[in-house]
Amino acid sequence: MIRLRNIRFRYNCRYVLDGVSLEVLRGDRIGLLGANGSGKTTLCHVIMGLISPESGEVEIFGKPRRTRPDFTEIRGRVGYLFQDSDDQLFCPTVLEDVAFGPLNMGKSPEEAKRIVRSTLASLKLEGFENRVTYRLSGGEKRLVALATVLAMEPEVLILDEPTSGLDEPTADRLAEILVASDLTYILISHDREFVDRTTNKRFQIKNGILSQVA
Amino acid sequence: MHLEEFALGDSIVHKLDPRVKIIVAALFSVIVALSSSLHGTLLSICFPFALILLARLDMKKVLTRLVVVNTFVGFLWLFLPFTEHGEVIYTLGPLEVYREGVLHALLITIKSNSIVLVVIALLGTSSVHDLVHGLHELGAPNKLVHLFFFCFRYIHVVHEEYHRLVNAMKMRGFKPRTNMHTYRTYSYLVGMLLVKSFDRSARILSAMECRGFKGTFYVLEHREIGRRDYVVCASSILISLMIVTLR
Amino acid sequence: MHISEGILSAPVLATGYACTAVGVAVGLKKVDYDKLPEVAVLSSVFFVASLIHVPIGPSAAHLVLNGVCGLLLGWAAFPAILVGLSLQALLFQFGGLTTLGINTLTMALPAVVMGSLCGMFLRSKSTLVRGVAEFAAGAGSILLSGLAVAACLLATGSAFGPAAKLIVVAHVPIMIVEGLITIFVVEFLMKVRPQMLEKAGVPNLTG
Repeated sequence: MIRLRNIRFRYNCRYVLDGVSLEVLRGDRIGLLGANGSGKTTLCHVIMGLISPESGEVEIFGKPRRTRPDFTEIRGRVGYLFQDSDDQLFCPTVLEDVAFGPLNMGKSPEEAKRIVRSTLASLKLEGFENRVTYRLSGGEKRLVALATVLAMEPEVLILDEPTSGLDEPTADRLAEILVASDLTYILISHDREFVDRTTNKRFQIKNGILSQVA
Repeated sequence: MHLEEFALGDSIVHKLDPRVKIIVAALFSVIVALSSSLHGTLLSICFPFALILLARLDMKKVLTRLVVVNTFVGFLWLFLPFTEHGEVIYTLGPLEVYREGVLHALLITIKSNSIVLVVIALLGTSSVHDLVHGLHELGAPNKLVHLFFFCFRYIHVVHEEYHRLVNAMKMRGFKPRTNMHTYRTYSYLVGMLLVKSFDRSARILSAMECRGFKGTFYVLEHREIGRRDYVVCASSILISLMIVTLR
Repeated sequence: MHISEGILSAPVLATGYACTAVGVAVGLKKVDYDKLPEVAVLSSVFFVASLIHVPIGPSAAHLVLNGVCGLLLGWAAFPAILVGLSLQALLFQFGGLTTLGINTLTMALPAVVMGSLCGMFLRSKSTLVRGVAEFAAGAGSILLSGLAVAACLLATGSAFGPAAKLIVVAHVPIMIVEGLITIFVVEFLMKVRPQMLEKAGVPNLTG
């Protein structure tokens, strides 16, 4: 589904990604580990087309992706859960935030509302529609942010530090949701225990090089 | 920050359609603001008071909100009675108190308070979200509506960041005084808030693009106007007209 | 300076609304949808900043920062300030709703004017030139705002004369403080995020 070949990217003088190649197949549950600043988020930003690599190829769903329109096509099919939920929840109410994705995909307001209800129900967040986003707790924000991405029914999901700031019960809930779903995903996390629970392949980035770990 | 403290409630006033509340508040405010009748404006205060009682708002909190308005009005009381020439009604040492000045200051006082009370009673009893939706349905430009939504959404985030920064400063012994160190410190605080917010807005835009944003903002429909709303609207217009014709 | 309800005459209020409508329309036109989050979030910062009090001698004044607003946003300062003032009127009863037009005009027009006049000098390599421009942007915006408020009161009635004069005088210490703060804020931004000063024409120094 996603194929990265020899991606090189640098910040100022340092090569954060130095010839990184990665293949993501359907059903893969990949954990991405590494120290802070090691390039995990950068790699995922390259996949989403938010930044352009200096060299290397990005192929998503069998098609090479180079220009902006190439990436606009994949938005929605590849979902991205941001590290800071406040960046993701920018609408006043949960209903509007979760509906944002579907509306952009061209769904009618009625269809969008239906999708919102079913997505929230699947995450056991029924009744959250009219809640005000900035009054939610940290854990609730994370789950609602997940709902905003899942509402687009993505084929691949990228999660950037999904457990940061979460208490144990909410982290457990998140783990359950991920394991029970049939999604393909890449998970960036420091939480080794969470990664072990929810992934079947693990990689690490160190000094710009990607290597598989146990 | 205790914003929207009057918006929680389930009285008749709270449940009115925001569009109606905006129109009535606007109409009432303009009419009172332009009125020059002391009797008319005095009578007009009954309207917001009635609404406040119906809405069961905490009178003490409402009166606290009047402090800011009355501070400026109070400032005008120090000048107008002495500067608006006409019939002298009193002599205070070297200063002469004029009737016209006193009446003018009184008129302003009544008008200001009446309008502020109506704003609290009608607009304060709806959430900002509902009011902005109302504006959208009344035809406000799409970009402006979304500016409101976004701005209000992030005020809380920015305020929290401000608190964190101020507390960190205080914990390093910062005491505000009239000196360059204080002004420089506050400037860095503002600079930090601006930079953090600028960076955040870039991340928000990325998050929006990742969810397919192509340049169009959609607003989901909200609510319908009920019969009760029409009744209130009509009777408010009648009351306002009465105030206008009163001399 | 926020003017409250029930003071100004009809022609002044109407002029305020008409001019603000034009300013906001121009401002909105210059804001593309992908710049909207940036303008909105900066508007929230200005809202929160107006709640910050700085000591001036025996009393304190709340920050206004319309000079910084003008430098960062240009014409977008009109809608940004309109939104900020509306929320202040709605949530705290600062200013007013009938006076929203005139209050926005007295704050945003000076911001835009000083922003465009002083912005070009920010490109200078001389700290002195930049400092003077930054001080002028901050102090000038406050001065023009104060004069505008005084003009509105006088246009309503000559009885407001002495009050108007006092308001202008009271703005002088605030002008100086805002001028100084503008220098520090803009220099901070130049060091940390020069991209924010794009509107003022400052080249992106980090390349």
